[in-house]
Amino acid sequence: MAVSSHELIAGFADPVQASQQVFRAALKVMSEPGTLVEIDYAETAPKGLDLSTWQLALSLLDPNTRVWLSPTLAANDAVISNLRFHCQCPLVDNPFDADFVIAWHSELPLLAELNWGTAEYPDRSTTLIVQVPALSDEPDWTLSGPGIEHTRSLYVAGLSEPFRSDLTRSRQRFPLGIDTFWCCDNRMAALPRTTQIEPFKKAEEAC
Amino acid sequence: MSTATGYNFAYLDEQSKRMIRRAILKGVAIPGYQVPFGGREMPLPHGWGTGGMQVTASVIGEADKLKVIDQGADDTTNAVSIRRFFAHTAGVETTEQTAEATLIQTRHRIPERPLQADQILIYQVPIPEPLRFIEPRESETRKMHALSEYGAMQVKLYEDVARFGHIATSYDYPVMVNNRYMMDPSPIPKFDNPKMSMMPALQLFGAGFEKRIYAVPPFTQVESLDFDDHPFEVQSWDEACAICGSDHSFLDEVITDDNGSKMFVCSDTDYCRERVDQGFVGTAADLSTSEQETEQ
Repeated sequence: MAVSSHELIAGFADPVQASQQVFRAALKVMSEPGTLVEIDYAETAPKGLDLSTWQLALSLLDPNTRVWLSPTLAANDAVISNLRFHCQCPLVDNPFDADFVIAWHSELPLLAELNWGTAEYPDRSTTLIVQVPALSDEPDWTLSGPGIEHTRSLYVAGLSEPFRSDLTRSRQRFPLGIDTFWCCDNRMAALPRTTQIEPFKKAEEAC
Repeated sequence: MSTATGYNFAYLDEQSKRMIRRAILKGVAIPGYQVPFGGREMPLPHGWGTGGMQVTASVIGEADKLKVIDQGADDTTNAVSIRRFFAHTAGVETTEQTAEATLIQTRHRIPERPLQADQILIYQVPIPEPLRFIEPRESETRKMHALSEYGAMQVKLYEDVARFGHIATSYDYPVMVNNRYMMDPSPIPKFDNPKMSMMPALQLFGAGFEKRIYAVPPFTQVESLDFDDHPFEVQSWDEACAICGSDHSFLDEVITDDNGSKMFVCSDTDYCRERVDQGFVGTAADLSTSEQETEQ
């Protein structure tokens, strides 16, 4: 598919500084899982991409990163044209072949369909970027693990029950695993494969 | 501060930075695991901190305040030249004060003052593979990491115990990160090992010659290897710092003349300065400040 020039929008006004700032935000959320940040270095995103997804793409994607898009995004001319033009990332047909998967929460591939890396090279795994309808620190998941002093709570809306339990159980396969960014408008959070996820327990009944 | 013309911000090109940034993110996601990356040539020789510099160049932004230390000191050749390099190519502010810095690139020490959340400590690493002197083949050490087969390192430490009666490894002391990966903490003295565990700051490691990046996220467990009957211990000194009187910091022994006179001083020059500013004094308080310079 060619680039449709009438769909193209401007990228970062200052690509060097904005890429660095967005990367630092990504580094913060990945090293402190469950932390929410807002990133505002681009004013608009291609229709179909959240602002934070678009900024992550501009910051991290390039001709060396293979990208798989979930069906609605893959059929979206604005998304494809802008990714091709600004990032020049190759788009692949199979999520297993992708370094980055960008997906709507309702169109997520099974975790098992993604590349989890190998025992010797666990870093060669897919990074999953999910666009979700809401993202907050309301108590839904209780997170623990590296990057979290005690526990942190995170609410990621719109995920199916099977996906949530797959993600929770995937921790047993560490060091293999999938690292995820959650994007909603200009907000972003991340869960690396080290983060243990537990459903939030209401305060224990008095005992 | 003026920046160099003809170079990209912080020297590295954007494509290289992106590649390194992706490697850093994977390193953070798999604490202690060495992520291979496409190491670039930097305008100084390998062994002078090119790995740490590539990490710094990829992380640094205009708002950052950079501190660089070499064996704890801000004023040694390596530290001065790297600090000037980034002041020149990125135009960032630099500082010698640990508390003020947002990024600290270090060769072989962790500052004495506890690091805070949102600070990033970037280590220069010569040999990232803790098992390399036990097993020279990369293909094998990779399998050992994959299988968590770390017995050989325990044997090496045990040989110390058998020969010397205690674990004689005093720097580059191997650690287990998050209970999974054995990691080389770079040649920091084992005195600094306990500071790595549950540190509020993010720790990034760059090995330029070996082209590896690894990381320890904040609040991650880092345990030094030991035995039940020979627990991990750090160095201690009978002396106190001659300048600031500190009896709890890592001390360098400095020879002061041809007759074997010597003094002990803090290896962390900023920490020592801070204490002197607070009014602490050591036995050599009247000596000229030129003798603060540490060896190595």
